[in-house]
Amino acid sequence: MTEINPNPNPNPNLSARIVPNPTLRQLFLGMLQVAISAFGGGLSAWSQRIVVEQRHWMTNEQFLAGLTVARLFPGPNQINMAVYIGASFRGLSGALVALAGMLLVPFTLLMMVGLLYFSFHELPLLDRILAGVVAAAAGMALSMGFRILDTYWRDPMALLLATATFLAMAVAHWRLVPVVLVIGPLAMAWYWPRHPASPTPEEHS
Amino acid sequence: MIAANGFQALFPLFAAVVPAESVCEPMRLNDLGNLLQVISTFLGLSLFALGGGNTLITEYHHISVDQYCWLTPTQFADLYALAEAAPGPSSMLVGLLGMGAAWREGPFWALVSAYGAELAILLPSTLLMVVACLRWNKMRNSPWRIAFERGLGPITLGILFAVGYKILVLADKNPVALAISLVVCVLMLRSRLSPLWFMAIAGLLGGLGMVSR
Repeated sequence: MTEINPNPNPNPNLSARIVPNPTLRQLFLGMLQVAISAFGGGLSAWSQRIVVEQRHWMTNEQFLAGLTVARLFPGPNQINMAVYIGASFRGLSGALVALAGMLLVPFTLLMMVGLLYFSFHELPLLDRILAGVVAAAAGMALSMGFRILDTYWRDPMALLLATATFLAMAVAHWRLVPVVLVIGPLAMAWYWPRHPASPTPEEHS
Repeated sequence: MIAANGFQALFPLFAAVVPAESVCEPMRLNDLGNLLQVISTFLGLSLFALGGGNTLITEYHHISVDQYCWLTPTQFADLYALAEAAPGPSSMLVGLLGMGAAWREGPFWALVSAYGAELAILLPSTLLMVVACLRWNKMRNSPWRIAFERGLGPITLGILFAVGYKILVLADKNPVALAISLVVCVLMLRSRLSPLWFMAIAGLLGGLGMVSR
């Protein structure tokens, strides 16, 4: 894979702000910058700010299209987005480099936190503090479902499927994989497009 | 303790699901066997990380607490909170679970296991994502992708509520903790404050001894 831009833009006025094809090194550093900037939170917003507004690797439309793909496919959304950005420019090696840039610093830090936790979690003060933090984290976990509830509020079938999934897991204690393999095909059959030929708009992002 | 029992008597649904601590006997494996078990477990789960990865949390709990006894329920809740509080994607929780899986074998194997677990959970979804990126134009109008996107959305919704409920049951053993969780949940939805504030304040309340467990 060459690092020379093989496709210099013939019309600089049209998309002068888009700098195509970042190198592997630039991809790594860009994702590293995203990861470090987002230390206070807001990973998605920082990713957009740096990739689109600062480095001009993608237009906003391209970025949002990528986010749609990243959310659709399995895996953590922001990690999928880094993979998408890397793969769009440099294929598999770009994806791995972007992933490494995104995870290097936060994962190293988290490993230090983990080593400290397993060494000292029996200290009474630490245990008391964690009891509080865990209660807050539980509230954050509970908010995840409510956050996307609006999207499905007017669709009775979606609410039925969601309720069935919830009851299967929370009450009947089904494991995740059988839940997905049983309810997933039913849901896909129900939502199978009636007119497959018609192009779809970019619905819910 | 009396307060906690009274609370569980008031909410029998909670009491029924609260798991007993450390009744589980860890499997005896040599270091490498343990590592391979961690890696294969997470490799197999990667492609089921619907809707952003948090959907796997109940499964993580089942594997690391009930099935393999890597962690106690309290430790699992602690690690979940630490992964949420730490900078970076919260899916790095898997690294902490991997660390817990090998902690008895010392810090070296714990770190190897942590990196192995994180790479294992990310590898399959990353490879699929690369294919998706390169083939997206062919896929985007396929009926399969439309049905997949529309159909799996509601399932993700149901799973996320199950995850929230599971963590709530794990974390909140008394009314104060439950109240904190509910307030944080509302603030997460209604305010734009960073969740780090909620965790810091709740941690302070805990440190002052106001949240027992």
